[in-house]
Amino acid sequence: MGVEFEPKIVAFMCNWCTYAGADNAGVARMESPSNVLPIRVMCSGRISPEMVMRAFRAGADGVLVMGCHIGDCHYSTGNHRSVKRMPLLRNLLATVGVNPERLELTWVSAAEAPRFVQVTHSFTDKIRSLGPLSQEVAE
Amino acid sequence: MNKLIIDGAEYQAQDDQTILDVCRQNGIEIPTLCYHPAMEPYGACRLCTVEVIRHGWSNLHTACTHPAWDGLEVKTQSPAVYDVRRTLMGLFLSRCPHVPVIQNLARQYGVTEPPFATDDPDQKCILCGLCVRVCNDLVKANVINFSDRGIDRQVGPPFLEKTRDCIGCGACTIVCPTGAIDIVLEEAGVYAEKPLGPTAAIYVPSLQAVPRVPVIDTDSCIRFRQQDRSNGKIADACGVCQTLCEANAIDFDQQDEILDLTVGSVIVATGFEMWDPKKLSQYSYGRSPHIITGMEFERLSNAGGPTGGQILLSDGSKPKRVAIIHCVGSRDHNAHAYCSRICCMYSLKHAHLVRDKTGAEVYEFYMDMRAFGKGYEEFYERVQEEGVTMVRGRGAVVDVLPNGKLRVKGEDADLGKLLAVDVDMVVLSTAIEAPHDADKISALFGLGRTADGWFAEAHPKLRPVETNTDGVFLAGCAQGPKDVPDTVAHAGAASAAVLGLLDRGEVVIAPTVAEVNRDDCVGCGDCLLVCPYTAITRVEGKAQINAALCKGCGTCVATCPSGAIMALHFTDDQIVAQIDGVLAWA
Amino acid sequence: MADLYRADVLISCLHGQSADLAPTFRQEIERRGMAGEVRVVETGCRGFCSVGPVVSIQPDGEFYVNVQPADVPEIVEETLVKGRPVQRLTYKEPTTRKSITKYDDIPFYGKQMRIVFRNTGLIDPQSIDEYIAVGGYEALGKVLTSMTPEEVIEEVKKSGLRGRGGAGFRTGRKWESTRKAKGDVKYVIANGDEGDPGAFMDRSLMEGDPHAVLEGMAIAGFAVGANQGYVYVRDEYPLAVKNLNLAIQQAHEYGLLGEDILGSGFAFDIGIVRGAGAFVCGESSALMQSLEGKVGEPRSKHVHATDRGLWDRPSCLNNVETLANIPVIMLRGAEWFASIGTENSKGTKGFCLVGKIRNPGLIEVPMGMTLKEIIYDIGGGPPRGRKVKAVQTGGPSGGCIPTSRLDLAVDYETLSQAGSMMGSGGMIALDDRTCMVDISRFFLEFLKDESCGKCAPCREGIKRMLEILTAISNGDAKMGDIDTLETLAKTVQAASLCGLGKSAPNPVLSTLQYFRQEYEQHITEKFCPSGVCRSLVAYVVVDDKCKGCGLCIKVCSQESIAGSAKQPHVIDQATCIQCGACFDACRFDAIQVIPRSQVELLPKQEVHA
Repeated sequence: MGVEFEPKIVAFMCNWCTYAGADNAGVARMESPSNVLPIRVMCSGRISPEMVMRAFRAGADGVLVMGCHIGDCHYSTGNHRSVKRMPLLRNLLATVGVNPERLELTWVSAAEAPRFVQVTHSFTDKIRSLGPLSQEVAE
Repeated sequence: MNKLIIDGAEYQAQDDQTILDVCRQNGIEIPTLCYHPAMEPYGACRLCTVEVIRHGWSNLHTACTHPAWDGLEVKTQSPAVYDVRRTLMGLFLSRCPHVPVIQNLARQYGVTEPPFATDDPDQKCILCGLCVRVCNDLVKANVINFSDRGIDRQVGPPFLEKTRDCIGCGACTIVCPTGAIDIVLEEAGVYAEKPLGPTAAIYVPSLQAVPRVPVIDTDSCIRFRQQDRSNGKIADACGVCQTLCEANAIDFDQQDEILDLTVGSVIVATGFEMWDPKKLSQYSYGRSPHIITGMEFERLSNAGGPTGGQILLSDGSKPKRVAIIHCVGSRDHNAHAYCSRICCMYSLKHAHLVRDKTGAEVYEFYMDMRAFGKGYEEFYERVQEEGVTMVRGRGAVVDVLPNGKLRVKGEDADLGKLLAVDVDMVVLSTAIEAPHDADKISALFGLGRTADGWFAEAHPKLRPVETNTDGVFLAGCAQGPKDVPDTVAHAGAASAAVLGLLDRGEVVIAPTVAEVNRDDCVGCGDCLLVCPYTAITRVEGKAQINAALCKGCGTCVATCPSGAIMALHFTDDQIVAQIDGVLAWA
Repeated sequence: MADLYRADVLISCLHGQSADLAPTFRQEIERRGMAGEVRVVETGCRGFCSVGPVVSIQPDGEFYVNVQPADVPEIVEETLVKGRPVQRLTYKEPTTRKSITKYDDIPFYGKQMRIVFRNTGLIDPQSIDEYIAVGGYEALGKVLTSMTPEEVIEEVKKSGLRGRGGAGFRTGRKWESTRKAKGDVKYVIANGDEGDPGAFMDRSLMEGDPHAVLEGMAIAGFAVGANQGYVYVRDEYPLAVKNLNLAIQQAHEYGLLGEDILGSGFAFDIGIVRGAGAFVCGESSALMQSLEGKVGEPRSKHVHATDRGLWDRPSCLNNVETLANIPVIMLRGAEWFASIGTENSKGTKGFCLVGKIRNPGLIEVPMGMTLKEIIYDIGGGPPRGRKVKAVQTGGPSGGCIPTSRLDLAVDYETLSQAGSMMGSGGMIALDDRTCMVDISRFFLEFLKDESCGKCAPCREGIKRMLEILTAISNGDAKMGDIDTLETLAKTVQAASLCGLGKSAPNPVLSTLQYFRQEYEQHITEKFCPSGVCRSLVAYVVVDDKCKGCGLCIKVCSQESIAGSAKQPHVIDQATCIQCGACFDACRFDAIQVIPRSQVELLPKQEVHA
């Protein structure tokens, strides 16, 4: 392994909070890891389990689902759906041989550019330490 | 419009005007004793008698009661008029020989000595009835009236006995032309518990009130007090202000009211609060009357303030040395990290005011001088030229010395030295912060807030007045610290954004809405449960989405077990393609 | 239908001592078993006050004066049973002492013309049937069935009827203004607040013929477009209030008041409002204030009551006497009415003739009759030995007209021009024992209490005029005071708010006009020739004339006169109070009035009481 493993992380971000927070981080010239591949959706509630599974299948080493803090949802209750789905999905991941740690649901508001940077960095580091998903599934 | 001739000149009059009205309006002097503009003419003193010629007939009439009819000719100074007034003043002077008003009027008509014997040299009442009428017709207290007839007529409460019904409003003392009525405080008497005399119940709250209009103090206002007396029923008392207000601007029925308005847009302009300097104890705020905030300094130097605009210490003397400390609560990780933006300029203004009004030495502790606006830098230079000592460096500590003086310590960064200055007054240029209850507004409108508490705009550069909630806009310091020009500009922009919506008359909704594929829908109804906008209804057993209500969050899409709902512009295919795309590229 | 009687006993003068008369008659008639054939009727006033109580027996018309209950059996026996007059009780012509049996032959009534008082004293005021029997409510019927309001007003205008309350405003014009005034609700008000002391025309009318007033009001209501009327009566007239109330009730029962009167669709109702007896409430604006329940104080009247009166609605206010003329005018026609009286004053006027006169009473004469005719022919002239000095007309605010002008024809204009006024019809004959300063003082004394006190000239002016007059009659005045008095009087006249104030100086101005010399005499000579102003006079006995009859000794309340029979008597000036009783009592003109200042010049005389 001459070259250090750089994970591919798909990050689903809600349009109103996290995506705006990421934008603000960029405006503020904060650096976030390039491993994180953003996909904008209108609400974290839009993310169906299939999307997450699809991301893993397409080669992602980790998936971040990010939305508004509970209570801040632009659609009032969209993130309430996510908060029910994702833990369930994590349980399912184990049964198909994927480390549930590779999926994370977290909140980043539009005002939390620094938090966005911190969350993405730490998740990237975690996945990096877990190694590639292909390796895990192969094992 | 009536035309009449008064003393040879032609004047115009309204139908409801009297001759006296027209004369007063045109500066023609007519003496009166029983007339008051707030009350119906009474015609008792007869002093306003004038000669009225109508259809060729000349008669003496009182100007206060005679309508200003068309075609009248009025003589206010004819010999007949003079004779009547002279005789009347003789009668009044004989009745009340020592009342200055009567003496002066009598002198005007050549009566210097009472022509008849005086019964009571202390008599001041001329029985004009103003007090009676004000008490009964206006105040509606019905406490005093005339008793007896003819020459025995006199004014007083029933049976001339003390009455508890007097509300002590003092209206009678105000209207009495001769000063015949006094308000007396009796130690244990009936008037003791009543308020002492007239309190101005209507006043402008402060000289610089905006809008600069008077308010009615309902605790003092006779009308409102009389209303209370009659158990909440309106007694229709007083109302003189309403009668006399030419603009008809007084409405006694106005109450605080909660309006239910259906609106299409809301501009949130909830402003800011001053940060409380007690939160940082090093400034010793509250430990000396001479440590004041910038806002308090504004009040002190205001012409309508407690000192009439003079900058004084609590003992009434002028300060000799004043320190102004910038960035109190701003740019401070123990308080607010942000710059409050307005303090530099107002601090400079305060420095200027202190120099201008007291000539005191001014020490201005600043970290950076943020004079960024148009003309601001020039003002900064001017203040420096006025002899203000600029100390670059945060004023770190304010100590209250045993002798009451204040010692400000800090570092002069330019000199690289620690500094202590003893002053008489310290002005803390405190930060501004988001209102303490901004979270309620935030929850109400679904507004985001930045870490420092201000409401978040939709985009810091491109959508500075919009929020992420359609139809809700921000103006002014609700969005973040702003000075006045910036606030005005921001508010103007918010208004323009609202006007844009109004002008269009229709709302353009985002195309990101969900659609049901009715062939796939099994009618389970899960989507109905998750939709936060009740945009989905069941029609003929299958889901149907109202595109106008749908905001396109896509929750239903993710929920649908049949995959029958598609979020336009965020279809599964599009997202999958994105997933595939980003991963392929990476 | 009432039973038929062969005779009616009409008893007038229901005030005072005559209260027992009717019961006594009834008892006597009952006792004689004539209850079914003779009826006793209590009627209103016949005006002949000097001889009351009067009783008249109909249908023959015997007229008895000064009847006492004790006379009743004799009247019943002689007149009702035997059919002959009781000579003892008939009226005696004062000069000839000739007995006059019949009412119609009495000169007191001969020159009178009774239109307003056509029924008083002749009918039972408490019976609407009697009023109808003498033609009552016929006029209302005629008006409602055959005339338009405009025609009624035209008729009143043509008649020339003018307000009998005093001011003499043309009634037809007033009705016309009220009719033309804008407003749905209008009022007719009858002014029965007769405040002049000594006047009782309105009272006699309301007591003796209340239906005449009501009928006049109903016609007025029809003419001006009002459905509500009010009679303002002073509470001192309880019988008037009672009879009016009764009359209203009866008129309602007969459908002559209320809804749809006589099937014409016209509705009219009348209420009684009792006044508390303030003189000023006879003034129209004060009366309306009082009607509204406020203190009766006059208001400025630049806008007439016909446009904005009671409760700010068009109101037609007429004196009750004016209204009582209306039915007659409607029945007999304007031309007939206009044929009575002078050019500008039509019809008749009631007067209360009082003072130093033989036949005081309530009279009604055609306008234009001279004062002389009234005073001498009707009033019988002054009592023996006295001379009429002046006639005061118009009540307290009227003026005095001297004897020299007694041939003045009584109408509105001539009286005003003479410095007096018609007023509500007071007429006081003053004789040479009346001091004109004192008479002014008397009226101002009344007015000072009855002025409402609202406006300064009336209140303060009357007070000061009274002070000056008192000073004059006390001998404390100086010559300039008369000029001050005159200036004051003219100012009060010109500047006062209401009619009371404007006319209050009339007594002063008219006496100054005709009797200025008497005023001056009070000041310069300190003497009151009439002997009234006690501080200025002394009574002395003229020795040559005194027969020593002792009559003066008897009347002197102070026991100040002494003297033996057939010897000239002496008055003790130290104890004499100048009441003048001796002067009035002396039949030989032996008592003389001299200035008080001359008392010291008299020879000292011992007086032994």
